[in-house]
Amino acid sequence: MAVTILVLIPLVAAIVLFAMAPSATADRLVALVASIGAAVLAIVVSALRLDVDVMWIRSLGIRWHLAPDGVSIALILLTALLTVGVVLHTLHGPPPQGGSRSTLLGCVLLVEAGALGTFLARDALLFFVAFEVVLVPMWVLIRRFGDHHRTDAVRADAAGRFIFFTVLGSTLMLIGILFLVYHQGTSDLDVLAAAHADRLSHGLQVAIAALLLTGLGIKVPLWPLHTWLPAAHTIAPTAGSVLLAAVLLKMGTYGIVRLAVANVPAGVATLSPVLAILGVVGVIWGGLACLVERDLKRLVAYSSVAHMGFVALALASGSHTGLQAALFGNIAHGIVAALLFLVVGDLKEQWGSADLAVARASLRDSAPRFGVPLVFGFAAALGLPGLVSFWGEFLALYAAWSPAPGRPVALLRACVVVGAVGLAIAAGYALRVLRIVWAGEGGNPAATPVRDLRGVRRGLIVTLVGAMVVLGVGPQLLLHLSDLDAAGVLGAVRR
Amino acid sequence: MTTTPGLDVVTLLPALIPLAGVVIVLVADLVVPRFRGFPYALAALASLGAAGAAVPGVVGGAGAVRETFCMTGGWFAFGPGPGAPSYSQAQAATECLWRAGTLGSSLQLGAGLAAAVCLALAWPSVRGRSAEVSREPVEAVLFLTALTGTVVVAASRDLGTWLVALELATLPVIALVALSGTRAALAGAMQLLVTSLVSFALLAVGAALWFLATGAPFFSRDAALAAGHVSQGGTALAAGQQPSVALLSLSLVLILAGLGFKLSLVPFHAWTPTAYACSTPAVATFLATVSKVGALAALLVVVQALAALSTPGLIAVAVLAAASMTLGNLMALRQDDVVRLLAWSTVAQAGWVVLPLVSVSPLGQRSAAIYLLTYVAATLVAFAVVARTVREVGSRGLSTAAYGGLWKRSPWRAGALALALTSLAGLPPGVIGLVGKVVALRPVIVEGWVWLAVIAAGNAVLGVAVYLRWLRPVVNPSEAEAAAAGEPAGPGVSPTGRRLAITMALVGSALVLLVVSVQPQLLLGLFGS
Repeated sequence: MAVTILVLIPLVAAIVLFAMAPSATADRLVALVASIGAAVLAIVVSALRLDVDVMWIRSLGIRWHLAPDGVSIALILLTALLTVGVVLHTLHGPPPQGGSRSTLLGCVLLVEAGALGTFLARDALLFFVAFEVVLVPMWVLIRRFGDHHRTDAVRADAAGRFIFFTVLGSTLMLIGILFLVYHQGTSDLDVLAAAHADRLSHGLQVAIAALLLTGLGIKVPLWPLHTWLPAAHTIAPTAGSVLLAAVLLKMGTYGIVRLAVANVPAGVATLSPVLAILGVVGVIWGGLACLVERDLKRLVAYSSVAHMGFVALALASGSHTGLQAALFGNIAHGIVAALLFLVVGDLKEQWGSADLAVARASLRDSAPRFGVPLVFGFAAALGLPGLVSFWGEFLALYAAWSPAPGRPVALLRACVVVGAVGLAIAAGYALRVLRIVWAGEGGNPAATPVRDLRGVRRGLIVTLVGAMVVLGVGPQLLLHLSDLDAAGVLGAVRR
Repeated sequence: MTTTPGLDVVTLLPALIPLAGVVIVLVADLVVPRFRGFPYALAALASLGAAGAAVPGVVGGAGAVRETFCMTGGWFAFGPGPGAPSYSQAQAATECLWRAGTLGSSLQLGAGLAAAVCLALAWPSVRGRSAEVSREPVEAVLFLTALTGTVVVAASRDLGTWLVALELATLPVIALVALSGTRAALAGAMQLLVTSLVSFALLAVGAALWFLATGAPFFSRDAALAAGHVSQGGTALAAGQQPSVALLSLSLVLILAGLGFKLSLVPFHAWTPTAYACSTPAVATFLATVSKVGALAALLVVVQALAALSTPGLIAVAVLAAASMTLGNLMALRQDDVVRLLAWSTVAQAGWVVLPLVSVSPLGQRSAAIYLLTYVAATLVAFAVVARTVREVGSRGLSTAAYGGLWKRSPWRAGALALALTSLAGLPPGVIGLVGKVVALRPVIVEGWVWLAVIAAGNAVLGVAVYLRWLRPVVNPSEAEAAAAGEPAGPGVSPTGRRLAITMALVGSALVLLVVSVQPQLLLGLFGS
């Protein structure tokens, strides 16, 4: 029951916010109460492992089965807590361009409801329904509240790309799910995972895995299906960018773990070379793009592609360490990307653009409270030990170096070498950004400095930096959480 | 024929109530001719009554079949070949001329409710009646007769009733289109008439071939089996048997083509945009909803009979479905007129409706019917919003620009439109549309047609593009659109005109759509689990 309420709170609040008159001021109260209430409830549900399991659509055998487990708890908490952050950030900023604040907050909460449903769902078809919930609100966020310095056509392009790519991905995923459900006779993810597709022929497993990986790979996004991401990130408002990077992309990787790795392990094993290669190509591609990209937001988006490449590489290894690395890398990227998009979004808000070629005053001198989190964020992006990203990437490379038996060792090791080069590139682009923005190289010291971070927005950034450091120093906090259930996902196949 | 057919009036009520409604409307028009809304009110009540009378057949459970006009013993028949078990021999059981299972009853229920909504949308905008013409009772009667045809075809089992009922469902609509009186409307009605005649010719020949192939005037399992037996009967009499199966296939192709016209399947779709665009919103709604229910019901009657043969999937259906989806969506992408957009959307959705029929199984039939009803519910809401807007601002309400900023001006109406469009696109919050997609794809997966499923996936994306084109101005108007939508109504429009009936229809249909989006089982459960 409590789990159902957890999903319903943001959903109902979103409907209330949509129905509200644009001039109403109660939106602040509704959004805050709903997001904080959902966050508290998410902590309770996660701690007590509450669940709900009732029949929803009897004709299709779809159960309303929501339950947290080790694999999903971290993502549920990330979603719920980050939504509070996004709501606070929106409330303590200038009124949004393009529409009323209540509509923007409603979209944010609707995305939260969909994401929570996706992470909690234990029924493959319910997962699909929840997966689709985020599309329309995110489309509205990009289309209506997107960067108003650009023309309408640019916003239309970004929003259109986002929704068309992801709808194609989720429909392919649906076909994969339907194949799986038809041949296994159930859509219950627990039963499906326990069955391990033993009764399915190898060819069928590979076909299902290919459909699922292609569909979810668009969301992750895997190279070469990533082309929607930079456009969407560049145009989306800060709230949208943060949710997109920290929550929506995670739904892709989580889906790969929950649907593909757990249910058709042999199929994923067969396709793992492809997954690994696409992953490291993404690492290199994203890194190289970052080295020359002029738009700071687009640069952070490309670095997301690179980071998700490491997650794909970890998944390709097929070992328990690999899965742990993927789950950890997911959370790590969620926190780091949220931080970077918050900082960069605020900067863009004041600069009017995020073009690195414009000469500006250095952040180090003019706005140190912006500068320090930016340094932390890019230090994490280059995988500095002691910060959260390090563990995700280090473990990914480690796991791929010694993969599960039966995987192509030579190929995976070659991928590790390429991935390591990718890390070097990451250092290159991170330092490039810091040199230009933070140190002010080639800048114009006389330019109007930005107003420094203050109040709630500063508190948010400090909290995220704190989380980065805490999880960087004590990764076992998260690794321990997912340890058992990650083993459960791999199950009898291999430990 | 050995026994006299039995007659069960209660079972026939879904058809008898609208017929009684026709009589009452005409009589009432003689007695109290003053109120313009009166015929519509009576007709809407009769439609609701028909829907209500279909309910017992729906709630009876999956196995319950309501039948009447039953006769036991064999029919006259000529054996398809010497030695083969002819129909009359194979057939010792009862054969009923009226047979409404859960599938048929659910479609009757949907048709009744949809017709009631159409009648509310047709409600006259001004009180009192002009002296020279009395259009209202005629229109109401035509709506009701077409509904009767739809209800009957869903339960008919013999070739004669099936053909007549199908035409009864079509011809009044042609008159409805023509009644608008404009030159364009006459052209559209003419096109519809020609199309219907061609369609009827194909259906009549198809039915005749069915009779020839099976030796029975019934669309029943036993009849299909009689033809099937011949094909499976062995090699000894192969020369005499082959034509029977060939005839059956030919008959099916002709029937599919004939019904393709009525369902607006590509390549039989050409009349759709013209007919929709030149008729009033209410008549266009009727064409898009009740007529489609009738056409699918007719198709399902044939497919149900065919299911006994356990034939593999029909390649013809797959091709028609893929072509309809693709062309319909591509053309809808180019429309700025909302009625034309909905017309092409009908073509695309018709593809989705027949998609499950690649599997000639109870699962495929059920899935097609479920998808059709989700489409009907969403389309009714979309058309109700259009009718309401047209009533308000005149013909300017037909362009997508008129919906610019609707979210700000009228959040509830915008919410209903958003729900309808997302349902058609198959995206939450229109969860029912999403579930419809799952339902429609399931039989395709069961049959293992991956290429078709992938084409459908591509069309899901195209469909999203189509409906978002309309939804975009609603949530995010450009300045020009906001300005255009804010202009005062054009000449010839009475902004004070009565809108109560339209509003009620809109609220009612939107509520239905909302409820089944929250709990899709309520719709899916109509067809048994």
